[in-house]
Amino acid sequence: MALLELENITKRFGGLVAVNDVSLQIEAGELIGIVGPNGSGKTTLYNVISGVYSPEEGRVIFQGKDITNLPPYRRAPLGIGRTFQIPRPFKSASVRENVAIGAMFGTLSGKVSVDESLEIADHYIELVGLQAYKDKAAGTLTPTEKKLMEIARALAMKPKLLLMDEAMAGMHPSDIDNMVKFIKKVGVEENIAIVSMVEHIMRAMVGFAQRIIVMHRGAKLVDAPTAEALSDPKVIDVYLGRPSGD
Amino acid sequence: MRPKIEKYYPLIPVYVAYLVMFLIGRTMPSMWQMVALLAFYCAIGQAFNIFLGMTGYVDFGYVAFMALGTYGMALGITAFYQTGLGIGIIFIGLLLGVVMATLLSLAVGSVALRLRGAYFAIATIGVNEGFRYFVEGAKIWGGSEGMIFSRELKEAFGAEMASQLSTLWADVAVFIIAVVAAFVTIYYMRGKIGYALTALREDEDAAKVMGINVTKYKIIAFITSAAFAGLIGAMAWALKLTYVFPPDVFKIHYTIECIIVVLLGGAGTLLGPVVGGLIYAFSKYWLAVVAPGFQLLIFAPIIIAIIMAFPEGIMGLVKRRAKGTGWEKYII
Ligand SMILES: Nc1ncnc2c1ncn2[C@@H]1O[C@H](COP(=O)(O)OP(=O)(O)OP(=O)(O)O)[C@@H](O)[C@H]1O
Ligand SMILES: [Mg+2]
Repeated sequence: MALLELENITKRFGGLVAVNDVSLQIEAGELIGIVGPNGSGKTTLYNVISGVYSPEEGRVIFQGKDITNLPPYRRAPLGIGRTFQIPRPFKSASVRENVAIGAMFGTLSGKVSVDESLEIADHYIELVGLQAYKDKAAGTLTPTEKKLMEIARALAMKPKLLLMDEAMAGMHPSDIDNMVKFIKKVGVEENIAIVSMVEHIMRAMVGFAQRIIVMHRGAKLVDAPTAEALSDPKVIDVYLGRPSGD
Repeated sequence: MRPKIEKYYPLIPVYVAYLVMFLIGRTMPSMWQMVALLAFYCAIGQAFNIFLGMTGYVDFGYVAFMALGTYGMALGITAFYQTGLGIGIIFIGLLLGVVMATLLSLAVGSVALRLRGAYFAIATIGVNEGFRYFVEGAKIWGGSEGMIFSRELKEAFGAEMASQLSTLWADVAVFIIAVVAAFVTIYYMRGKIGYALTALREDEDAAKVMGINVTKYKIIAFITSAAFAGLIGAMAWALKLTYVFPPDVFKIHYTIECIIVVLLGGAGTLLGPVVGGLIYAFSKYWLAVVAPGFQLLIFAPIIIAIIMAFPEGIMGLVKRRAKGTGWEKYII
């Protein structure tokens, strides 16, 4: 049984079709790269999976359960964690409190106490290397630090599926390499399926992803093992701005 | 476990302030009325802060909960004064007040709290006026004439005790309510509820994605805040004044005062409502002496200026300054 299954998902905003009839499957522990030009529907797809938007058509199935109509706060504890393209820290709260919130509400038992959550937070803060900023208000972090904090916060939720929306955009290339290694390690160790956008940094993508999904104008253009996907002429066309199919 | 207790240290300055006020009032009888007024504003600030401060939502209909508390006490006294239950009727009145305020908040909250900030605020404006016209129009609870129950109080307790209840115990009760509200505030802050409320106040969508049932936590804060409003109405208005008159209790003026007290002192802080309540009540008292009739005219621009200058309120600023110092663990 696949961890996540999308069946013919379509999401529209008024007349605009942001996600167009997308079906895909993700297995437990898979590391997936997702790419596609601006506006191709990647974030919207994340929003449909995490429950921020409900799709006009199609079904979202997580661990065999239809969650299409489940509100986001009930999906998170099932094991769906995410970061945001534009970081969304709880600004006035400290880094430690932010991450603790993930541990407190994002796990299935719902029985993690405040003190336990803070301990779990310390662990993940250290993992992403933010221990020096632990007690700082999250709103005062730099964008890169905020992204790291969001990763820690999502990991503290003990997700089975982690959706990272441009978690590494704006980072220094050497940091990206480290980040990719780190994410990959955590994913493998904790058996988390990770979908990540490593936009524009193909080298990083190759090091990370076992499979690549290419989005184009809301549709899934390619979904193939990394090497195969990268040599696909359609992908090359998309990146050279000569979209195939029209 | 020491660290557990330490989490509650911020109550110390709050309780010291209340104790000092109380002792001044008790030792100087001429001060009691003023102290009672100060305590009233601290208490409503403390109660309203649990909702406004912790969720960031503004409820313009808040005074309706105080009004219902007032009616609850009035109904309790008028219905039970001949039963010989003694002080029990006051507790029945309190209970009725709290239950009525809580039920209304549950009804309003479960509908309106699904709306976002501004829409919620607009929706609540109607609640207070609507309820007032309902009471007057449907002619329940004395309709537009209200209820007077000083005779019933005297009959149940005797003239002297009845007068003591109004002039002393009602005020003492307001102090107790403020003390309990402060405790509940920090209890929430230190627990999961506080974390959930912080998250949803900062970013509701992100909070949902982190697994927080935002509507549930908003309703918890709303009901708690409303229940305290009911208690305050029952004591500070019903028992103290021994009458209820609809235009007096369903008065949006009081909601505005609650908002000012909370914002002035620092929304979402523990000591803020005390500081805000004291400053507001003192200035109001003083302006009534030096410039009677012009209080609001003088007050409004000053308040607006202060809130513009310190958007996080006085305690918000102090809290930030205290960060990293020895004061930190006493101030939230
Ligand atoms: N809330 C919304 N309301 C209206 N249109 C939206 C909304 N969210 C996304 N869209 C539109 O849907 C399309 C897909 O957007 P989406 O953000 O999913 O793309 P993306 O692949 O994440 O792009 P980027 O690389 O720029 O982040 C875009 O045309 C966008 O303008
Ligand atoms: Mg995007």
